[in-house]
Amino acid sequence: MSHILAGEGEKVLLMGNEAIARAALEAGICVATAYPGTPSTEIIETLSEVAGKCGIYVEWSINEKVAFETAYAAAITGVRSITAMKHVGVNVAADILMSSAYSGVKEGFVVVSADDPGEHSSQNEQDNRWYGLLAHIPVIEPSSARDSYYLTKEAFELSSRYEHPVILRTTTRVSHTRQPVELTGDVPSEKKCKGVFDKNYERWVLVPANARKQKTRMMKIWEAIRRNEGREPFIRVWNPGRSKVVIASGISYSHAEEALRLLDALNDVTLIKVSLPVPLPPAPITTVLKDAKEVLIIEELDPVVETQVKDIAVDEGLSVKIHGKNMIPENGELSIDRVFEPVAKFIGRETLPPWQSIGEVKTEPPIPPRPPVLCAGCPHRSTYYIVKTALNKAGIRNTVFTGDIGCYTLGYQKPFETQMTCFEMGGSLGIAHGFGKVLENTVIAVIGDSTFFHAGIPPVLNIVYNDSKVIPLILDNSTTAMTGHQPHPGTGITAMGLRTTAILPEKILEQAGFKTIVINPLRVKESIELLTQAFKEYLKGERIAIVSRMRCALEVARDARRKQVVLPIYTIIEDKCTGCMACANLTACPAIIVPAGSKKPIILEELCNGCGLCASICPYKAITVKNTPSPEWERLW
Amino acid sequence: MKTRFNLVLSGVGGQGIITLGRLIGLGCMHAGVDVSIAEVHGMSQRGGSVIVHVRIGEGESPIIPVGGADTIISLELLEGARSLVYANKGTTLVVNDFLWPPPLVKYPPRDTILAAISGKGLTYYLYDANKVSMEVSGSVVSSNIALLGFTLAVDKQLSKYIELSDIEWAIEKTLRGHLVDINKRLLKKSYEDGLRHVNP
Repeated sequence: MSHILAGEGEKVLLMGNEAIARAALEAGICVATAYPGTPSTEIIETLSEVAGKCGIYVEWSINEKVAFETAYAAAITGVRSITAMKHVGVNVAADILMSSAYSGVKEGFVVVSADDPGEHSSQNEQDNRWYGLLAHIPVIEPSSARDSYYLTKEAFELSSRYEHPVILRTTTRVSHTRQPVELTGDVPSEKKCKGVFDKNYERWVLVPANARKQKTRMMKIWEAIRRNEGREPFIRVWNPGRSKVVIASGISYSHAEEALRLLDALNDVTLIKVSLPVPLPPAPITTVLKDAKEVLIIEELDPVVETQVKDIAVDEGLSVKIHGKNMIPENGELSIDRVFEPVAKFIGRETLPPWQSIGEVKTEPPIPPRPPVLCAGCPHRSTYYIVKTALNKAGIRNTVFTGDIGCYTLGYQKPFETQMTCFEMGGSLGIAHGFGKVLENTVIAVIGDSTFFHAGIPPVLNIVYNDSKVIPLILDNSTTAMTGHQPHPGTGITAMGLRTTAILPEKILEQAGFKTIVINPLRVKESIELLTQAFKEYLKGERIAIVSRMRCALEVARDARRKQVVLPIYTIIEDKCTGCMACANLTACPAIIVPAGSKKPIILEELCNGCGLCASICPYKAITVKNTPSPEWERLW
Repeated sequence: MKTRFNLVLSGVGGQGIITLGRLIGLGCMHAGVDVSIAEVHGMSQRGGSVIVHVRIGEGESPIIPVGGADTIISLELLEGARSLVYANKGTTLVVNDFLWPPPLVKYPPRDTILAAISGKGLTYYLYDANKVSMEVSGSVVSSNIALLGFTLAVDKQLSKYIELSDIEWAIEKTLRGHLVDINKRLLKKSYEDGLRHVNP
């Protein structure tokens, strides 16, 4: 049995996201939705794995807006629900998020915003606690993976009590840390999965006259939360009455607590753990501020709590010195490293941290950086090579490639340079259209299949409607690869493993008016010929689009292991190799390395996934298949 | 100032570093000690440098401070050298004898890396986990388990918290079918290699 479904009293090792999923099950959810996005993905993924057993409905929605709407719809009929997204996903859902606060819900509805301080896997590190202030939605912020289990349950209770949406804001280090969690409840066998739609048009139809009434209703709830929820576990106060106060929110509390413990100063200050940073309930903060001379607010990213504490001090006419972003970094992820010294300084110690690094290892040449790269056998690598070669053959120079969000964004690196912009989901097509209106260059918009469905369809229609000569290039690896291989509308399978209609990007593109060429990037020569021809037609004025379809190499390699299918393994014949380095330089494949001191490359055979691109490139035919692949190997791709 | 036991796991995305962290986490649970394991997912997993922070003992802050590692286990030489910023003079480093350069860059040869590590004056152990994994399982995929088995034998600090039997239990909990036996065999063999290394 899955550890997610362990019984009350058991202790299980849970990732923060799994802890949220488990808590949501205990809270009695019956609908869970998301579009995958790091660091939020495993919440809905975990729920999808137990959906059948638990009798709940789980979906990978086409994007965050639709995910939000689907879960919200359930909650306004009285069915508990959860939707989860990465911080920038909330931007996509922001329109309905704002309205959802006006109309409220009938049963518990939790929106998980998984933020990414430090941009481990994101284009920005926006602090989504602001969304709570903007939308008038309370924000609950756990301090650890374990804490997210308890606070998710509290989030559902809070949402139910006020018939109001609640944002559960995690960060990478909460979502992606594992800890032992002692389960304090069971997954209920009975839950409410059928809703009733109450035809209360005044509440659900936000025309201006109704919206004004709902705003008034919402503000009453907002005030009630500020007034009533300044209690444990949302605000927890240790050692009230001290003159020095440390206030810490979310994961920053864990860093602050450890710093104080290491300094043996836990009893020297009043310590407040804030788990409800928005709206910050004034009562308990006021009580503490009245006894305080100096306050240090520790929070990651923006001064959300700090601003509110300062407001409270002003409202109460208190002359207390409040430190925050003047001592704690505003950029990047916090850690015990970055919190220790400010805390020591605040309590008047000159203690050095208990750790002293031996420093970086210095070598000549230096240890090179290792940014993420396209995997060995990745079909995107072949597609990029094919497209660039075909452009050359067709005589098209100086092409501008706009980019998008996915593994293929790594094509911004040499030798590909086929991603020259990357801003947000679907941005490749809209940016390309704008370029098409002001640049003389050929513009190719490069977008993955899942991203195309997510946010690519409106801008691709706009390209046709407003007539720019942009070439959409859809990299279709039949999965959402970057986030760990979730299905999407092109795959014909749902989050719950059910068969459904597969929607092909080329059908949409053809319908919109593009002559669409579908290539198989494993067949390098054939694809170059097809695209060279297509680019020539483009030069004559034809509106073209390209779909390059081949499965993700990681999935192929995994299936090969499971089904015991032997994939081809390539090797470089030393006698034939001239050391021209074309294979290494044109593919940047991580399986091709040049041993130190050697003038010829070799293939790390245990890493080769057998795509064969290097063999197609080698001008001396020095790269060949070394093993005997299974006859059916190509069917896995 | 008592701190938690800090174990840094490093390597290249795809080498099984997250799985290794999870096995150690389960091992700690089996041994009855508190633990947190901070991972990275998503883009950084695609062949880039990966660091997983394992902190054993009570406490919630999940990231190991620079200079705060008690032990570093690294599945690759360049990454082992890179992760030494987490080391202090008392740190133990166990590194896989495998050099996997990133594409299209200049890099120091193996001996230069080892000399630079030696120059830092800490205790380090080199083990060919890829070779042992290949011998026992027919693939390098389990080099993570081989390196852990070796570490448990040579690192007297880590083995105060978890024993071989805790990791065997974790393997039984995590893996399926024939992989359980293969990996338990691999763990045992690499552990014995480690014992022989410290008591030849």
